Amino acid sequence: MKAKTFPQMAVQLGKLSLKNPVMTASGTFGYGEEYADYVDLNRLGAIVVKGLSLQPRLGNPPPRIMETAGGMLNAIGLQNIGVDAFIEEKLPYLRQYDVAVIANIYGESYAEYQKVAKKLSAVKGVHALEVNVSCPNVKKGGLSFGTDPKVAAMVTRKVKEETDLPVIIKLTPNVTDIAAVAAAVEKAGADALSLINTLTGMSVDLKSRKPHLKNITGGLSGPAIKPVALRMVWQVVKRVAIPVIGIGGIVNAVDALEFLMVGAKAVQVGTANFINPYATTDILEGMQNYLQDNNIKDINKLIGTFNAGGSSCSG
Amino acid sequence: MAKNIFIGEILRNEEIRPNYFLMKVQLPDSFDEPRPGQFVMIRIAGLSEPFLGRPISIYSYSLRKSFVEIEFLYRIAGKGTQILAGLIKSSQVEVHGPLGGSYEVFPEKENIVFIAGGIGVAPLSLLAQYLCKNVCLVPSRMNFYLGAQTAKEIVGLDKLTRLCYNIQICTDDGSQGRKSLVTQAFAEDIKKYDPANTAVYACGPKGMMKALAGILGKGKFACQVSLEERMACGTGACMGCAVAVKDKQGDVAYKRVCSDGPVFNLADVIWE
Ligand SMILES: Cc1cc2nc3c(=O)[nH]c(=O)nc-3n(C[C@H](O)[C@H](O)[C@H](O)COP(=O)(O)OP(=O)(O)OC[C@H]3O[C@@H](n4cnc5c(N)ncnc54)[C@H](O)[C@@H]3O)c2cc1C
Ligand SMILES: Cc1cc2nc3c(=O)[nH]c(=O)nc-3n(C[C@H](O)[C@H](O)[C@H](O)COP(=O)(O)O)c2cc1C
Ligand code: FES
Repeated sequence: MKAKTFPQMAVQLGKLSLKNPVMTASGTFGYGEEYADYVDLNRLGAIVVKGLSLQPRLGNPPPRIMETAGGMLNAIGLQNIGVDAFIEEKLPYLRQYDVAVIANIYGESYAEYQKVAKKLSAVKGVHALEVNVSCPNVKKGGLSFGTDPKVAAMVTRKVKEETDLPVIIKLTPNVTDIAAVAAAVEKAGADALSLINTLTGMSVDLKSRKPHLKNITGGLSGPAIKPVALRMVWQVVKRVAIPVIGIGGIVNAVDALEFLMVGAKAVQVGTANFINPYATTDILEGMQNYLQDNNIKDINKLIGTFNAGGSSCSG
Repeated sequence: MAKNIFIGEILRNEEIRPNYFLMKVQLPDSFDEPRPGQFVMIRIAGLSEPFLGRPISIYSYSLRKSFVEIEFLYRIAGKGTQILAGLIKSSQVEVHGPLGGSYEVFPEKENIVFIAGGIGVAPLSLLAQYLCKNVCLVPSRMNFYLGAQTAKEIVGLDKLTRLCYNIQICTDDGSQGRKSLVTQAFAEDIKKYDPANTAVYACGPKGMMKALAGILGKGKFACQVSLEERMACGTGACMGCAVAVKDKQGDVAYKRVCSDGPVFNLADVIWE
């Protein structure tokens, strides 16, 4: 038997160097602490923290979640402690770890995005910003920023003005042409893209004739959205030159590898953490095993090796 | 690293009343001794539906020679619990826990009052068990008010009769015990209890706990309640299981049932 060599897992996302391509998805891993009992945070490619806004946010009234076929709907309403409390109370904890910390930010105006970005750029321990232009739960802003290529580009420009950190724009799938939005934010200076955020959906309780979520609509996540996410990542990587991070329904190594194959440089694991708190490291180990079994020495050798073959027209 | 996700083997899963089940699960002895009020997230390993775990209170705990046995008392409420109910002896379930905080106990208080509606008996029963075994409280100090719509929904009595002397049973239709709401039965007895020397614990439907809040009034009795909300992670990460409570300044705050609770002070809970 041939001795197996340990595959090279590091990836480079523009200026951002990651130990490996497995990161956590915003809103599904708290501020890291919540999972430190389960996962050695040092082993992660990056931790993306819960979306941060300028002021603390109360969030939506309950019920906020509902299970649906192969996934779940959520309408958390971006409950978070606010950027200042994050810097004071949560960041010192994360600094103890040798892991890239990516702050996911949210604003209801350009000025708010800018203020949050500026505060996070002035402190040690934040390695990149991920700009949520896509949260479907909040009535003001949210959806509108990410659905119009021009507005998305403007947010990108405004945030870039305030920071030297790599800026990742997180795209919403609730659009007709995601590649057009991707191209617009790339032109506006985005360093990387992450996609997808949740798909807007709803669920009805037959007995009470009411929605299951108090907010009526919510964001769909989990395995149910993976095919949509994969298709969108594929469409976007064909269109842009900046690195793309694949997100959506990844629960195991095979899912993650599919995203890399179609061209994502890294992946984020979201809802899977809820059903398996070890999901991130399980996925990482599964990817390493796959590379070893297939004698691939470097993860980068797999990225973008997808062979589309025949026609790409469905019907 | 915490290792609190286990594969358990079902030793027993019986319908004790129509739609009410008692499940006994064997777990490795590394499963921590639960504190009363704690719960587990239970899933069927490898199944994609139900996708998320379901929170279920720990009803009893026994440490055997080289393993642990825990019991759950549950009601079929929908898809997930329906599938649980269909599992046969020696099938496997994934058990994540024990999770959440616990009831604060006051061994020095003269009276311990439990008020349970329906399946709410489950966490309170573990509390009574704990008070007997770990705090050596005498059964005569424990007063249990157990209510349900009809006799068919009165569950958990066999265990309770071994733990408490004073048990009052109430049903809406009088088919077992008194024909009254459980909160009403307690309200009639309230003069028997000195607020300063009584600890009240309650778990049941929202309507019951809201009524209880009205009966207990402002701050006279210390009352802890177990709340329920749909959950995804069970560990405090997703903010999905929020309930509205008053914070220190008296403003509305959303707390997580899984990690800030499931036990809350009744006086802090904001009802719709
Ligand atoms: C900390 C905690 C401890 C619990 N302990 C027990 C227990 O010991 N025994 C028991 O029978 N049940 C308990 N529950 C309630 C139990 O979790 C729900 O009945 C169960 O999740 C319903 O799942 P389902 O798939 O069967 O129903 P679904 O199809 O998900 O829903 C059916 C109905 O139940 C409601 N529901 C769903 N999840 C919850 C929930 N978590 N809390 C309240 N209502 C819910 C839905 O709104 C719906 O009306 C507990 C809940 C919590 C939060
Ligand atoms: C409970 C919950 C909360 C989320 N909160 C945020 C958030 O604050 N900011 C954000 O950009 N995305 C948020 N998301 C979206 C996820 O980061 C991710 O894009 C999406 O869930 C799809 O990935 P998944 O299928 O692996 O979960 C949230 C998702 C869930 C399920
Ligand atoms: S269930 Fe996720 S925070 Fe409580």
